[in-house]
Amino acid sequence: MAMKGTGIISGNGDQQRTLVVVFLRGGADGLTLVPPVGNSEYYRVRPTLGVPEGDILKLGDANCGLNPAFSALYDIYKDGCLTVVPAVGSNDDTRSHFYAQDLMEHGGPVAGGWLGRFLRYRDGVPPSALSAIALGKAMPEVLRGAPAATVMESMDTFSLGSQSGPTDRLKEELGMLYGKDESILGPAARDTLQALERVEKLRREDLPPMNGAEYGDNSFSNGLRQAARLIRARVGLEAVSLDLEGWDSHFAQETLITPLMTRLSDGLAAFHRDLGKLMKKVTVVVMTEFGRRVAENSSFGTDHGRGGTMLVMGGTERGNVFGEMPELETGILVGPGDVPVKTDYREVLKPILTQHGAGGSMAEIFPVG
Amino acid sequence: MKQRESDEVSRRHFLRATAGLALFSTSSCERVEDWLGLGPKEGPVVPPSGEGIDLISHVLNRTTFGPTPLEYARVKGLADTEEDAVAAFLDEQLNPDELEDKRAQRAVRRFEAIHAPLAEMYEYKEAFLLEQLTRATLVRATRSKRQLFEIMAHFWSDHLNIDVSKKECRWLKAADDREVVRKHALGKFSDLVRASALSPAMLWYLDGRENRMRDSSEKPNENYARELLELHTLGVGGGYTQKDVMEVARCFSGWTVRDKGRFYKGRVEFHSEAHDDGSKVVLGHEIASGGGEKDLDDVLEIVCEHPSTARHLAEKLCIRFLADEPSKASIDATAKVFSESGGDLCKTLRSVFETDEFLNGARGQKLKRPFEFIVSALRGTRAKVSSEMDLVDYLIRMGHAPFQYPTPDGYPDVASPWTGTLLWRWHFAIALSRNDVSKEIKINQDELIEKAGGVAGLAASLLGRIPSKEELAAMERTGESLALLLASPGFQWR
Repeated sequence: MAMKGTGIISGNGDQQRTLVVVFLRGGADGLTLVPPVGNSEYYRVRPTLGVPEGDILKLGDANCGLNPAFSALYDIYKDGCLTVVPAVGSNDDTRSHFYAQDLMEHGGPVAGGWLGRFLRYRDGVPPSALSAIALGKAMPEVLRGAPAATVMESMDTFSLGSQSGPTDRLKEELGMLYGKDESILGPAARDTLQALERVEKLRREDLPPMNGAEYGDNSFSNGLRQAARLIRARVGLEAVSLDLEGWDSHFAQETLITPLMTRLSDGLAAFHRDLGKLMKKVTVVVMTEFGRRVAENSSFGTDHGRGGTMLVMGGTERGNVFGEMPELETGILVGPGDVPVKTDYREVLKPILTQHGAGGSMAEIFPVG
Repeated sequence: MKQRESDEVSRRHFLRATAGLALFSTSSCERVEDWLGLGPKEGPVVPPSGEGIDLISHVLNRTTFGPTPLEYARVKGLADTEEDAVAAFLDEQLNPDELEDKRAQRAVRRFEAIHAPLAEMYEYKEAFLLEQLTRATLVRATRSKRQLFEIMAHFWSDHLNIDVSKKECRWLKAADDREVVRKHALGKFSDLVRASALSPAMLWYLDGRENRMRDSSEKPNENYARELLELHTLGVGGGYTQKDVMEVARCFSGWTVRDKGRFYKGRVEFHSEAHDDGSKVVLGHEIASGGGEKDLDDVLEIVCEHPSTARHLAEKLCIRFLADEPSKASIDATAKVFSESGGDLCKTLRSVFETDEFLNGARGQKLKRPFEFIVSALRGTRAKVSSEMDLVDYLIRMGHAPFQYPTPDGYPDVASPWTGTLLWRWHFAIALSRNDVSKEIKINQDELIEKAGGVAGLAASLLGRIPSKEELAAMERTGESLALLLASPGFQWR
């Protein structure tokens, strides 16, 4: 077979950028992930849960910082590769997990997910079979409507007929038949065989992460590790979706979400280190359906709110804080006492999607507003 | 309540079935046998024997979800010449109500949710409704004898696209499929468009429900009006202006769909107080003030009879049945019949099938979309499918799950957007031939080969022509003829 792992994949693009979307399901508490700095009202309404001022990792002279559990991410911030967005969210005011997640993943009250529409309508060549993966068990709404999207739990998903014996001869003969095909399927088949070859090489070799990166032993970190391998193998991966669940902290919030923050931070830092220079072509967006009530409740937790947090890592993003933490006085809060949404999440996504080749398709990706 | 309704459903089906029986007793014995499930005597079937795709295979490729060995033989037996045989076949297909289809109907009956009255749709979990609708769609495409009807149902599902993931479409699309798409799939175009305009799912999908002008401060919601002109009727460049879009939106203002009340949810209503009752001008036609709900009919008459609509629909039908870039002559001829017949879809289709491009043009030059690929593989291999959900996984991977296209233009019907789907086509071809798709999907490869008189015969029945020397040699070398055939370039086209 003529296909070797070294050529350039023409159709699905060795030059392709990859966008990784991490969804923190359950509504992560923005005021804990990214606590305000120098805000006495915060400590008044969060007597137990407020992050002590001295522990907050400062972001220049911004009026918010990073939770100390994000120490690994803090290094990335200092390297200029992390953007922190406080008080960000959607215009959903139902405070329902289901509606708010749906709205944010669809990109408005529209059909299909924004990542799915991005893949379908972005400029350039049609997506390849491996252009989008959801790491997990089910297809997330954000990828709905994608021209190709695969739910993947392990690398085996991609190989041909792995359950029932080898397919080398079939691949060889298909390479021969499609090699003589003069239709548009000819080049598509060549790309497909090459991508397969690269995935199978990955499976065979199972190389350790690069640059001394160490991933934790949990499904989130493992998902990121798989994503990094696929990105490095240049199989045409353009979009990855994965979830980190369990942020719905109505009681005992600190015990509940501190380990999650560590997991998020360490996972992303390992991914960042693993990919090294390739991070120039990779952007990771961390988002959640809403933030939580400003005042803590009587069971040391917080209830559903509005403005939350987004984090953006990599790409050509510069380390900074996008927007600012609003004051937390009564007159400024919305609804039953929630952080107002100062930045629409789509305003954070649009420039990123443009960088990833959205071209003239923004009206299809975000049809409303 | 629930029980009574399902009894009614089965009674309706029973009546339909007996009607079929009455009709049936007048037709030929061969079909009686077929109807009774005895089938024609199954000996070896003579597969296509030409070097290129023969006319019968070509017609089956284009007007059905793929030939089956038995259907090929049956059509061949309809007349002495290929030309007469396909003419007789198309006559049958263009009169679907007279085609007995009991087995497919019985297979679909078990999806009770999609037969429920509108208000009851809300009682189902939306994921369950979508599952039932999707499975029913796969069952019909695979097993219905009214293949052209099913192809047209697909065509209209794209033309009048509704994505179930938008708001209440997740409950209402099943009713749209039944009352709009399937009810008028081979009827009159204007009836279809009217049903769609007043479909609860469409009123949600394109925001018609929010198009209200209770006073001069309110602006009409143009979304449906724009897509009606741009996609459903005149087409881009069809000669309408932004002003026409706004005027059409004014005409439709006041039509809405109930979103509250247990028994009224989903009901379509006209609210005269939310209707802009002033005079309008649509595409040069004056619509007098005071028309109220009649404005909608005036608009639909204007747009359905517009010459751009005939041309737009003719072009889309020609793209479906003839080529990604059909000839101007074919489009013109089709548009002429569409206009002259007042949008009679059967007559229009007949004219498509009479074009020189259809009968004598290039064959095997339309790429099967993923849904068509999967269904044609199931049909060609006579697969026994007892659960369809594993097929849906493949469709999602290939971006072609029914009723899940996000924007109003529907899944594309030309080759280029689908070239990234080869990996999963191969995956499916191998899994199907090795009986690895799931426990619920099984084929009998040995029997297929035996009935076709060998692997070359099997290849011929799947490709509509005898296999080339390269194809034959490749089949032999792999030792997995069927997997290779289904994955090969030849089987990707129709």
